[in-house]
Amino acid sequence: MPVKYLAAITVAASSLSAANASEIDSARFVLSGYGDVKYETSELQDSSAYSARFVPIFLFSLSDKIHVEAETEISLNAEGETEVELEYADLHYFLTDTTTLTAGKFLVPFGQFGPNIHPSWINRSPWTPGIYGSHGSSQAMEALLPILSDVGVAIQQTFVIGNYQKIFVDLYSTNGPGIEADEHEEDLAEEATEEDGHAELPELAFEAGSGDNNKNKAFGGRVAYAMLPGIEVGTSYYSATYDDDETLDITAQGFDINLIGSHYLVRGEYIETQTDGLEEEEGENEIHTFKRDGWYLQGTLQTGKIWSSLAGTDLVLEYAETNKLAEASRWMVGVNYWLDARAVIKIAYDDTDVEEGEDDQRLAIQLSYGF
Amino acid sequence: MKQLINRTPLSPASWSILFLLMFSASWVSAEPSPINGAEVFNNNCARCHNARSLDEFSLQEWAVIMPHMREKAHLTGKETDAVMAFITLVKKGETKSASAKEGAHVLNGEALFNKYSCQGCHSVNGKGGTVGPALDTTIADKGKTFFLQKLKNPQFNNPASPMPKMPLSDEEIEALADYLSTF
Repeated sequence: MPVKYLAAITVAASSLSAANASEIDSARFVLSGYGDVKYETSELQDSSAYSARFVPIFLFSLSDKIHVEAETEISLNAEGETEVELEYADLHYFLTDTTTLTAGKFLVPFGQFGPNIHPSWINRSPWTPGIYGSHGSSQAMEALLPILSDVGVAIQQTFVIGNYQKIFVDLYSTNGPGIEADEHEEDLAEEATEEDGHAELPELAFEAGSGDNNKNKAFGGRVAYAMLPGIEVGTSYYSATYDDDETLDITAQGFDINLIGSHYLVRGEYIETQTDGLEEEEGENEIHTFKRDGWYLQGTLQTGKIWSSLAGTDLVLEYAETNKLAEASRWMVGVNYWLDARAVIKIAYDDTDVEEGEDDQRLAIQLSYGF
Repeated sequence: MKQLINRTPLSPASWSILFLLMFSASWVSAEPSPINGAEVFNNNCARCHNARSLDEFSLQEWAVIMPHMREKAHLTGKETDAVMAFITLVKKGETKSASAKEGAHVLNGEALFNKYSCQGCHSVNGKGGTVGPALDTTIADKGKTFFLQKLKNPQFNNPASPMPKMPLSDEEIEALADYLSTF
């Protein structure tokens, strides 16, 4: 999708906003968001540290049809510098009762963790599931698809079937990933070819930007079925060309499940990726496709809902693994105590077993709050 | 009979089209039921996070938050409006309740139960929401005093409870307690 189209949508939205300005009352803005403070020890890092984040979300309701939202993550890095990251900044245009257009930097609707579960006051674990990466910190498990948000356009359609069933369809086009640049600014797609001719898994840069290294746009979508209020299952697809010459692709397919019981939650995702890399064959570079997959399953027993003496507590168990090329598995166990419906203290321990690499054991105590 | 069967085969593609037509018709022809905002609240918030107390934000703030949640939770516009109507009922009821001391109370427990969509979040006779506990035996198990206190101060026994403080007078809470005692 050319950038000029995005600009046109933005201009059109601004015009509509101006046209309806007289109808908007003074309460059109809300500051919401979340934050957390975490104490974490890591055997691999051989350290323990406190960390803090503040993640304000700015909401503007410009009219009945137009909604603007932006989330920034403000955090301290290990050197004490304040880092500010734009998680998303987009505009929703409610085209019909069931159709929504989105333009800007938005949460990519692949699976459920990125678009819905990633805020720390929502995630029942103090860590990101290993298959999605660490989101700013470090982890022993190599992520399959470390993507959270990107710049582009999207359309969302909801089909209502009776009173309790729905089908969700999300489609999007974004800038997509690029090649991770190293200190020498070399093309890692070529660097991935070792001296013995065997290719290595290319390292891709999934950080969103207002630019692209090629004319190809990433595209994808998610189709999900929900039987409210207890079941949601979805399947996702993502495809992009990541190199300058538009010859190397990455595609991903996912399956996700979300079960909501009166006393439990079960969330899980399976992801499969195919990433092209260059392999030297008889002096010529040939494309080799690397296949990886992995999954996680998180179960939460809401013990506070079963026994009133344990009001506000959860017991959380999670297992994750990545297979092929970077095999690893992780167990996590945690206990949460909810101070109120949007503030929680989490205590969790995880043990990561890396097939060819260093294992890690982590302990975290996190206070997280939504506001 | 055999000939009749042989003359009317349906290819897989035909079956697919037929299925899609039936499937489409089922949601197009279904008579839409009135949308209960409390039920939408119950059915969708907990898909991702704890339901937030309605007391946490003002009515004006909810009016800005709901379009955000519409996109996040794949709500339709009508469902979003229904949730806002429910929030408005709870929020504006606070004023109404204060002014209603002149005697315009509805003292029918069942009518109050329905008016405030209690069943959107709580079940009775196996029907209703799951955000809150079932109410069939609440009075019998925990006593009327507990119930009265819960409605006056919803977080008194559980700080994580998303239960909002409903705009009910003491007489209306008594009427609700009497109604729930009948189960």
